[in-house]
Formats: sequence, C-alpha cells, structure tokens
Amino acid sequence: MHIPDGYLGPQTYVVLDVAIVPLWAIAASKVKRTLKAKQVPLMALGAAFSFVIMMFNIPVLGGSTGHAVGATLIAILLGPWAAAISVSIAIVVQALMFGDGGITALGANAFNMAFVIPFVGYYLYRLLAGGSGARLGRRMVASGVAAYVAIVVSAIVTGFEFGLQPLLAHTASGQPLYAPYPLKIAVPAMAIQHLLFFGWVEAFATMGVVAALGRSDSVLLEMKPAARPLRWLWAAFALLVMLTPIGVLAPGTAWGEWSARELRRTFGFVPAGLDRMGNVWRAAVPHYAPAFIKNPLVGYLVAAILGSVLVVGITWGIAKLLAHRDRTPESKAGA
Amino acid sequence: MCDADIAPIAGGRKAAPSLARRTAEAIGRHIGEVLDNEEVAARPGLLQRIDPRVKVLSIVLFSVTASLLRSPWLLLAMVLAALGLAAASAVHPASFARKVWGSAGLLAVLLAAPAMTQLITPGPVLVRLGPLSLTTTGVLGAVTLVLRVVASAGIALLIVWTMRWTDLLRALSSLKVPDVVVATLAMTQKQIVSLMRTVQQMHLARESRTLDVGTTAENRKWVVGRMAFVVQKSIKTADDVYDAMLSRGFTGAVRTISRERRPGGQWAWLIAAIVTCGAFVAVDRLVAR
Repeated sequence: MHIPDGYLGPQTYVVLDVAIVPLWAIAASKVKRTLKAKQVPLMALGAAFSFVIMMFNIPVLGGSTGHAVGATLIAILLGPWAAAISVSIAIVVQALMFGDGGITALGANAFNMAFVIPFVGYYLYRLLAGGSGARLGRRMVASGVAAYVAIVVSAIVTGFEFGLQPLLAHTASGQPLYAPYPLKIAVPAMAIQHLLFFGWVEAFATMGVVAALGRSDSVLLEMKPAARPLRWLWAAFALLVMLTPIGVLAPGTAWGEWSARELRRTFGFVPAGLDRMGNVWRAAVPHYAPAFIKNPLVGYLVAAILGSVLVVGITWGIAKLLAHRDRTPESKAGA
Repeated sequence: MCDADIAPIAGGRKAAPSLARRTAEAIGRHIGEVLDNEEVAARPGLLQRIDPRVKVLSIVLFSVTASLLRSPWLLLAMVLAALGLAAASAVHPASFARKVWGSAGLLAVLLAAPAMTQLITPGPVLVRLGPLSLTTTGVLGAVTLVLRVVASAGIALLIVWTMRWTDLLRALSSLKVPDVVVATLAMTQKQIVSLMRTVQQMHLARESRTLDVGTTAENRKWVVGRMAFVVQKSIKTADDVYDAMLSRGFTGAVRTISRERRPGGQWAWLIAAIVTCGAFVAVDRLVAR
C-alpha cells in the first residue's frame, strides 16, 4: 500500500503533505501529554515493531502468504495517537532507508496507513469489544473485524487518491500524467484485493496476536484512554458528508445499479420484470438530486445531509427504545 | 547472521524452501541492505562528499521536479543523470539500476501495462491486438509514469544510499526537525535492526528444528505466536530503554548530536541542483507548448 513517488500529482501530494503536518502536531501533543518522558522509547519501539511486523509472512490459503501492516494492532496496544506517530515514523524510515514509498508521497502514505487505519481500527475495536471487562473471545473477534475493516477503508482511500489522478492531470489528448486508472477502476481494484486477500491477512494477524497476548499478558490489552471518541467520530462523519459532492465527478453509474433507461441504452432491451417493477416505488429524492436545487454538487450535498439526518435519527430512536426496554425490568424489580 | 549462512537442503531433488526459511532469507536481505548503506556511504565519491543537509534538500527538490515534468525525454534524461551520478559516487551503475528497476521500476511497469490498452486509455491505435490493442496515448502515459517513478526513486535512493544514517539524522536536526523526532528516528533504526535479528533467529531456529514444512494452519499459528512475542519484547525493551535513560539523568528534554558545520562551498551543489531542476521544468513547459 506504500505509494511510490510519481503516482500522485502535485495537486494531490501537496494537499496531503500540508494536511499531515497539523495532524502530526496534534498527535505529538496528545502523546506527550499521555506518555510524558517515556514517549521517545515507546514511540521508537512502536515504530520498530510496526516495521518488523511487515516482515512476517503469514500463510493464508493454498500456500499463499501476505504481510500485515499491523496499524490496528498498534492502535489497540498504544492508543490511536501513539499508533499514528509510530506508524508514521516507520513509514519515514521505510522511505529513507529502503526506498519503500515515496518522498513526495510521504503525506499520502502517512495519512492512509498511519491515520486512517489506526483511527478506524481503534474506534471500531472499542465499539465492538465494549469495556475493559470484555471476554477474550469478544476482543479477538472485535480486533479481527476492526483490522479487516480498517485496512479495507485505507485501501479505498488509497484507490480514491489514485483514481483522482486522471481527472486532475492529463494532456490535451487525454494522456494521464500520473496514476492512469480512473476512479471506477482504481477504487474497486484496491478494494477487491484487500477485501479478498490482504484484509484477511490483517484480520488473522491482529486476532492471533490479541489472542496470544490475552492469554499471556492481558495487561497490554487494557483499553487506552481516548479523548472523547464520539467527538472525533462526529467530526469525521461531518467531513465525509462535506466530501460527498466529489462523487459527482465520477462518470457513469455504479456497477449493477443501472436504471431501465441506462440498460436500454447499453444492451438494447430492458428485462420485462425489471421494467414492470422499476416503477413500483417513486423515490422522494431520485438520483440524490432534490428537484428544487439546480446545481448538481449542492444537490448531492443536500441529499447527503438529508440521508445522514434520517439514518442518525432512526438509529437514535431505535437505541432509545432499546435502552428504555432494558431499563423497564430493573425498574419493575425495584418497585 | 545473514541469508548466506543458511545451508541448502542436501541430497535429492531440491525441496521448496519452507516459510521459515524464506522469511529468514528475506530478513537477511533487509539487514544486508542496512549494512550495505553504511558501506556505500563510506566510499570515496561525488555524493559522499556533499553536506547531508544539502543532500536532504536535494532529495525533495529532485522528487518534486520529477513530479512536475511531462516530457518522457526529460524524465529519461533524469534517469540517465541518476546513472551518471551513481557512477561518479562509486556505485556500480548495473547494481544501482538492478536495485531501482527491481523494486519501484518493476512495480510501475506491472501497474502501467494494462493502461496501455484501448480498454483503459482510448486513443489512436499503435499496435493492433483485438480488444487489447495498444494506443499511442496509453503507451505514452505508461512510459511517462514508469520513467517518472524510476527517476524519482533512483535519485532519492542514490542520495540516501550515499549518506550514513547518523549523517541523515544530523542533517534533519540542522534543518530544524524537532529533536524529539530525530531522537525517535535514531532509536527506531537501532531497534529495527535488533528486532529484525530476533525475528530472523526465530525463523532459523524453527527451520533447524523441524523436518516437515507444516500445514498452513500450523504455520499461521506459529507466526502469529511469534508476532505476539515481538510485541511483548518491544514493550519490555521500551521499558528497559526508558529505565536506562532515567539512570543516566534523562529529564524529558531531548538533545541530539551536535550540528556539524561544513565549508560554504558545499552549497554550490545545491545551487547547481536548483538551476538544473529549474532548467528541466522550463524546457518541459516549452516542449509542452
């Protein structure tokens, strides 16, 4: 997943190189506050471990092997901010000492592997594993799922960065100047190889190490203090919503989500069942484009906000209902 | 212990190497690369004489320049310039080319190859191969990408290769990189080599004590168990290192090695590099018109 120099154009790498600096500064200040003077040896060992874990060949299926990134595991052990610094240092050492990953792409690589994986992995692990008293089995499953999802999300982000290149930089004749594959190829290509192979390697490795540590040294698995995780989740969620108009840039329709009109244009006919059922339900906001907004980018953003408010509202309502049901037997018992 | 120490399996048909053996060999190669770096940096050569601070700035300068160039001819000129610099810095051009093309170059070729076809990049057909016909636009794009990757990787690798790790840290310190980052990088490099040796020895020990290659599940269980051991060892070592630092009077303030001053003439290289890179970009823009 290390992006070498030359694949990302200046429009992308400058943005990510600049964006990563404040993230590193925040991470450094958080780590300094929590780990105090012990930060230097712990960060160095975290970085060395992050580097060395990639050396283990993990057998998966049919004699094939792969290596894990280990960023979710480090986040579970040291906390997400410390993991962000450790993995970043490992990425810098890999680029400077072994030429693995580019110099201009340092920001992109650090963002994809040292921030996306530890944060997605860590908070998903906390969500699934529950409190510190959770049983080892639950922690194992939580760590495996978190590692799998985190690396797939990171791969999709990387694919997105690759896929933006032909849109951002090409010659008059259409010749791409950097990574040549458009979003519709780059994102699925990165996602599929991680969904089918590398995600499992990451999940096996993380789950296995959590299991081994849980049996021999469970103190290491104690939950690290996280500064108001929900606040960060909301911030990330808001950022994702604000970024949704980028989706309008992608040409064509998502694979398999064709309308009857698109099917007719592509294949020359529409299956009878699809034609009959296609008009059963009329969506309130078809094609994520509210009728009262003319600008497609603004329309897409408004649709994203509307959808998010609906999903969050319904989930909140269900959670309230379940919490009320959980409280009812106790209150009855108390009475 | 490096990969050369691992004896081949004796007698009969050569068996496929086990997982432990392959991993030990790969780690041996990595340790060898770290040692090679120090050896190349000690040779008398052009780049070895240049101030590390200037070299660090040059890496950034050349990488950014390579990313700005659009003409494959100018990128090819950068690749050839890197080869020339390698020869002038007592690095054999063949081994340099092998190292660059064997890693970044090969990956770029594999990644760019499908983009040459009509399926991915439409345009005038250059070679007819049915649905996989190669287009002029696709081939030009792929060649430009490969040359850009090789030029950036080549120059960055050559500069790093001709610089001792301690010099690199000193340069980062002089360029106002925070001391805590430099100290962490210094400690990381030492711990990486130490942990790599531990992991290599674990794999060699398994290789020398087992007759069977083992099933996938057995191997996976063993590898994951060793990874857990490395976690424990890393955290214990961090505690030990911290205790050692405290016992030597560490109070939390990090001081790095003294900042070295070299003759001002060293900066001539940087000026030459800036002029060369500026000329490359200017010519590229003229060609693009």
